[in-house]
This record gives sequence, C-alpha cells and structure tokens, in this order.
Amino acid sequence: MMDDQRVQTELDGQIDAALRAIGSVAPAAGMEGRILTRLAEARSGADQPVRSTHRVFRFMVPLAGIASASLVCGVIVVASVNHSHRPHPGMVAPPPILEMQGGVGAASAVHPAPPASAAPVPAGPAARGRSTHKTAQHGRARIAPHAKRAPGVALPATPAGSPQ
Amino acid sequence: MSAFEGQLAGWMTAAPVAKSVDKSQTIAQLVAEYSTTLYRVAFSVTRNAAEAEDAVQETFVRVLKHESRLDEIRDYRVWLVRIVWNVVLDRKRRAKTRPENEDVADYARTLPSGERNADDVAISSQEHARILALVDRLPSREREALLLSAVQELTTAEIAAMLHTTESSIRSRIFRARRELAVLLEKEGIQR
Repeated sequence: MMDDQRVQTELDGQIDAALRAIGSVAPAAGMEGRILTRLAEARSGADQPVRSTHRVFRFMVPLAGIASASLVCGVIVVASVNHSHRPHPGMVAPPPILEMQGGVGAASAVHPAPPASAAPVPAGPAARGRSTHKTAQHGRARIAPHAKRAPGVALPATPAGSPQ
Repeated sequence: MSAFEGQLAGWMTAAPVAKSVDKSQTIAQLVAEYSTTLYRVAFSVTRNAAEAEDAVQETFVRVLKHESRLDEIRDYRVWLVRIVWNVVLDRKRRAKTRPENEDVADYARTLPSGERNADDVAISSQEHARILALVDRLPSREREALLLSAVQELTTAEIAAMLHTTESSIRSRIFRARRELAVLLEKEGIQR
C-alpha cells in the first residue's frame, strides 16, 4: 500500500517536472526583434502598389476563361447542328409531298401525290396468284408411293384404280 | 468568412471597448507582452524551438492582416493563444509527423537549467522527452488540456474559453490525462 502511494507520488512528480519544463521554456534571444522585423516586411509588402503586369493579368485571366468557354460552347452547338442534318444511312427517304398552288386552308395546302389510276388493274392471262396449290383431283393431296415417311406413321394404301 | 475571421468574430465584444487603441503601437505591445507565452504554447505542441518561433511569427502576421479590428478584441491573451494553437495544429496536421524533438541537445538548450550541471540537464531532458512522447499517445482532448495546463500563464478559465468548454470539463480532462499518463509510464517502465 505504501509502495503504491510512493510509486504514484513519484510518477506524479515526474509528470509535473516534464510539464513544468515544457511550460517554462524560454525562447531564443532576440525573438521579439525577429518578429517585429517580419511584421515590418509583411507590412511593407502589403503597402506596395500592385504592379501593372499583375493588374493586367488579373483582368486577363477571367476574360480568357470566358472566351475559351464561349468557344467550346460554339463548337458544341455547330457540331450538334451538323450531326442532326446528316441523314442516317439506313433511313428510307419519305414520299414526295406535292405542294398545291393556290390552296386556301391549312388542310388543303398539302396533299399527297394521287395514284396514277384509281381503277383496279385486271389480271392478265399469265397472271397468277402469289402461290399455287398443287393438288390432285377432288382436292385431295397426292402422296408418292415411295415417299419418305417418318417412322411410326401409318399411311393409307393408294387405291389400285386411282390415278398416279 | 475565413477561419481566421471566424475566430476573430468569436472573440469580439458585443460592443467595442471604449478605450481607443493606437494600432501602430498595439502589435508591438502585443509582441512584447505575449510572445513568450505564445512561444510556450507552440513549443508544447511542436517540441522544436525553430518551429515554435515560426508559429509565433505567423500568428502575429495574421494579427497584422486584421489590425483594423484589434480594438474589438475582448481578451488579447486568449485570442492570441487560440490563434497560435490553431497555427501549430494546422502545421502538425499538414506535416503528418509526430511532434517530438529527437535532438536532445536542442531540447535541453530550451529548458531552464537552473543550478544543475550539463549532464543532469541532459539526463532530465531525455526523461522529459520520453514522458512527452507518452503525452502524445493520449486522446486529443485530454492531451490538449494537459499541454495547455502546462503553460503557467494560462488559467483553467482561459483554457476552457480557448477550447470552448467549461472549467470543470477542463479539470476532469486534466485529471484523466494524468491518470492515463501514469499508467503508460508504469507500463513503459521509465526509470524511477
């Protein structure tokens, strides 16, 4: 118990001594003079007029910034307009629009081009439909006797008198 | 508003003091009266004589930039200590180095020697440097309170005003710091 108190007292004494030492340091001789000298230098530096080059530079920097920003904006706008006017290679041209001379209203101002003839065109003798069903008589499908068939599918036998 | 102007606003009185201050003489008077105190505050953090003096010079340069508002300051000492404290903490943060002085001879030169001989001074300086290295391992709030309490000119009320807290908080921080420091000293087994 006494040892603990003694140790604690010694530790406190060491801490106090270290703190006292750091709290009572003395600056090097002549510090006040050096501070005043530096203050005088700072004051004279602050009192000096701004040089003309500095003044010009101060005005030129924002102007140069504005000019370069305007240039960039202009380039962006011109490039955007050019890009929107160029047709896409895969795009089909729209049908021509016939502008009527002497239209009265807005609805009659523009009319699509009329077809060459409104009457239906009759089919010629050689004309045929888009597809032709090759069927046998009576509308039934004809299957060749040696036709390849899928395994397991039964086919009815062809009647003997039926045409091939 | 800059950080310095914020500090300035914090230490201004609500109404300007009646006493008119001659600004051309004021800063010189402030240097004569408070430079040693500011040096001690700076040295408690930097542990380096040259850096501490440079911090004091920078403090007065900052004051010079705002000398037109000097007559509005309520308490010059606390205001100046606050500025130099911020200066040294900023520098420490920028340097990212531990605030210790490896040059024992330089450290011993700055400490008051009294009647002791050179060997005693060097040995005690080494012991102090080791203890102060342990101080740097304390939590920041406790460390700041302990270091500022070491500066003899500063009262607990002034430290509390500087750190924006109460006197009782400062006292408890100092108590905790000393207790933790004693534990660290025992662990390190510093020569007793």
